Amino acid sequence: MNIIHKLIRGWVPLAVIAAIMVTLPFMGVPRVWIPYLFVFFIYLAMTNMWNLLAGYSGLVSLCQHGFIGLAGYSLAIFSWYGLPFYLGIILGMVVVGIFALIISIPIFRLRGIYFAVGTLVVPEAMRLVFLLWRPAGVGGPLQGGGSGYTILGTTGISTIQAYWMALFVAFASILIVRVILRSKLGIGLKAVRDSERTATSSGVNILNIKIYIFIIGAVITGLAGAIFYASQQYIEPYSAFSLKWTMILILATIIGGMGTQIGPVVGTAIIIAMYFGLAKYGATSLLLQGVILIGVMLLLPRGIVGEIGRIRRVSSWLIMKK
Amino acid sequence: MDKPLLKVNNIDVFHETFQALWDVSLVVNADEIVCLGGANASGKSSLLQAVSGFLRPARGNIEFDGQEISRLTPPQIVSLGLSQVPEGRQVFPDMTVLENLIMGSYNRRARTKRKEMLKVVYELFPILEEREKQVAKTLSGGEQQMLAIGRGLMASPKLLLLDEMSLGLAPIVVNEIYKVLSEIHSRGISILFVEENLKRSFQHAKRAYILKTGRVVLKGNIAELQEEEELKRAYFGIAQS
Amino acid sequence: MISDLALPLVMGILLGGLYAMIALGLSLVFGVMKLMNLAHGDFIILSSFLAFAMSSSFGFDPILSLLIIIPLFFGMGMLIQRYLLNRAFRISMEAPLIITIGISLIIQNLCQIIWSPASRALSSFYALKTFEIGPINIPLVYLLDFFAALVTMLALREFLKRTYLGRAITASSQHEKAALMVGIDTTRIYVFTFALATGIAAISGVFFGLTFSFSPSSGVNLLILAFGVVIMGGLGSMLGTFLSGVVFGLSQTLGGYFLGTTAQWLVTFVIVLIILAIRPRGIFTR
Repeated sequence: MNIIHKLIRGWVPLAVIAAIMVTLPFMGVPRVWIPYLFVFFIYLAMTNMWNLLAGYSGLVSLCQHGFIGLAGYSLAIFSWYGLPFYLGIILGMVVVGIFALIISIPIFRLRGIYFAVGTLVVPEAMRLVFLLWRPAGVGGPLQGGGSGYTILGTTGISTIQAYWMALFVAFASILIVRVILRSKLGIGLKAVRDSERTATSSGVNILNIKIYIFIIGAVITGLAGAIFYASQQYIEPYSAFSLKWTMILILATIIGGMGTQIGPVVGTAIIIAMYFGLAKYGATSLLLQGVILIGVMLLLPRGIVGEIGRIRRVSSWLIMKK
Repeated sequence: MDKPLLKVNNIDVFHETFQALWDVSLVVNADEIVCLGGANASGKSSLLQAVSGFLRPARGNIEFDGQEISRLTPPQIVSLGLSQVPEGRQVFPDMTVLENLIMGSYNRRARTKRKEMLKVVYELFPILEEREKQVAKTLSGGEQQMLAIGRGLMASPKLLLLDEMSLGLAPIVVNEIYKVLSEIHSRGISILFVEENLKRSFQHAKRAYILKTGRVVLKGNIAELQEEEELKRAYFGIAQS
Repeated sequence: MISDLALPLVMGILLGGLYAMIALGLSLVFGVMKLMNLAHGDFIILSSFLAFAMSSSFGFDPILSLLIIIPLFFGMGMLIQRYLLNRAFRISMEAPLIITIGISLIIQNLCQIIWSPASRALSSFYALKTFEIGPINIPLVYLLDFFAALVTMLALREFLKRTYLGRAITASSQHEKAALMVGIDTTRIYVFTFALATGIAAISGVFFGLTFSFSPSSGVNLLILAFGVVIMGGLGSMLGTFLSGVVFGLSQTLGGYFLGTTAQWLVTFVIVLIILAIRPRGIFTR
């Protein structure tokens, strides 16, 4: 009976929300909501992954946009060979996974700050590679290089279909984080967070754990990116490999609360709201976000969710004392 | 009566949630050499760290030269005339001997006396003068210890704290270093030193405090202490009668 | 063929000086506080833009404008360390890094708002002059870059070795606890160090702007370049930083010569990745 209680508490609300979200387009909500929610879910998936990496595993990864761009370009390339977009998306995910595995070998020999900057360099190099690369005769009307490529076979994707794909990856990301945290992997993570040295001496293989998390983070981020580009129908190197992607993820995670499960949802919602609300102010909104990032980091270091959690704990402790 | 230079009043000290010191009090008077003894992990280092400002006592207070210092930062305490020579040497590894010593006189009070103190340090430790231009990390353990003491002296202190000088050094080297203690003392510097080895403590100190698991279990003049049965118990944990 | 290479070779070495200076600020902050200032490149570009603004609005020569920009940046650095970063150090390990990311965002977008995303360049009556040495023509700017870098590096080295404050900075970078024991207020030292690094970034920015065109987003490339120079050169070694700068300078000029201008940065990135992969501690370290 107890187990059932636990399960219900954990999964049922999530399932209910999922069901609502899926049928949302048919419930008479304004059509304009759908693209906004699309973007929200894409970023939610990516933020969940960054939170998993940095918030739970201590890996400040600055190469997420590398995975996004790679997945997008893989999708584009596969589309030229006539593959339907959903296969392209899945294969893009696989490519990213393999890539993450390969670079994890040198990257994980670095600690702390070296790791962070090492991950920073990767997408910069990738952007240049794709900027220079101009295979002839493919990619439809766009010339390649700086002007990018069209992704074939995607014109048929409706807004609702794109929305469902984004919804899928967002919920997948939530589930994955949950499952990981409750699994052996998650317990290992907690041990590492508490004390890396003790964890190692207890036989926890830290390096393997970190690599698994890194690859999972890469794969889901890539998946979200591929879905994004499938709906956008073309890709070019400057925005695909732009640091702005990762900046938004960092912002959303910090504001919401690093190392919490609801944090990314709150953070992403705020950031996306700002993004669309101030869209016509472009650079100003980003500048504002920089200020908010600093403010939150110094004043609310645990993010909104984290601080609320702390207040709740403190107040319940106070109540107990009485 | 001697004027107390250092007064530790009933302090509790914590390392995170672990309590290292319980209601510890201690006095060092001007012109004294006092030893802080006790078995391993009895809280001796924690006491020194509290005095020098690296740990803040959760309860109680510490006075130095009449001034309340428990809320001050280490650099502030140094400028009042209290200098610490930590355990494990902790020299500036990539600086030369001379540079290390010069750093010792960083605080304003000591800067004016730099040349003077340097002469004193070289008299006490001639080998440091020999190796003036040598990079600190290439010195032997004993030489590094001397350098650390010399650096502590360069701060022109009224009170010198010495934490576990004998750690990891051969007995011959340690004896050499200890000979210097009375020399330092003769120049008007009070000393509080931590030493596990009882015999050595008693050779060089006038008074001692013995700690056991964070509490002062014994204190007084060396002559009296040597008689104490309690001493054996403090060290070897022999059951109380 | 050889005489063809002579120009890129010489320019690579001269450029190396500039790159070493660019890396200097990053190295200082990282060495002393173990903090990687991710906004470092953006500070440099900000300086370029300020010089640009003063040049186009008041006709100030960029190098002269340093008289204003350096103190300005020094003050800015002091404020940032004192009120933002020192606090962040007490909060968590990642907090200072995130703060620098925030600063980077602010600077980049500030530049974009004020000066638009377009590419700019600093110019001066001497910017186009060239010097003839043998068969090659060296742009005067490159010589000025090298000279400025040399002066800055030597001045910094002397400062660190001969003044109490400079020695305190060095001591704090080697052993923080021992520095405290000797009476060094490390918190204040950090403020000064960061201010110093920002001041050096100001100098780098003006000379960089005279040599290359720049835009609000140029900071990232400079950060990666500086990072590469720092890890190859090793911390605490002025000579190592200089040599490392030269290697990167040469990689750019020779890379540009053989592979074209877009590829030259790729060469830089690849070199950084390789160094990270094989010897993150540095190649020129003691």
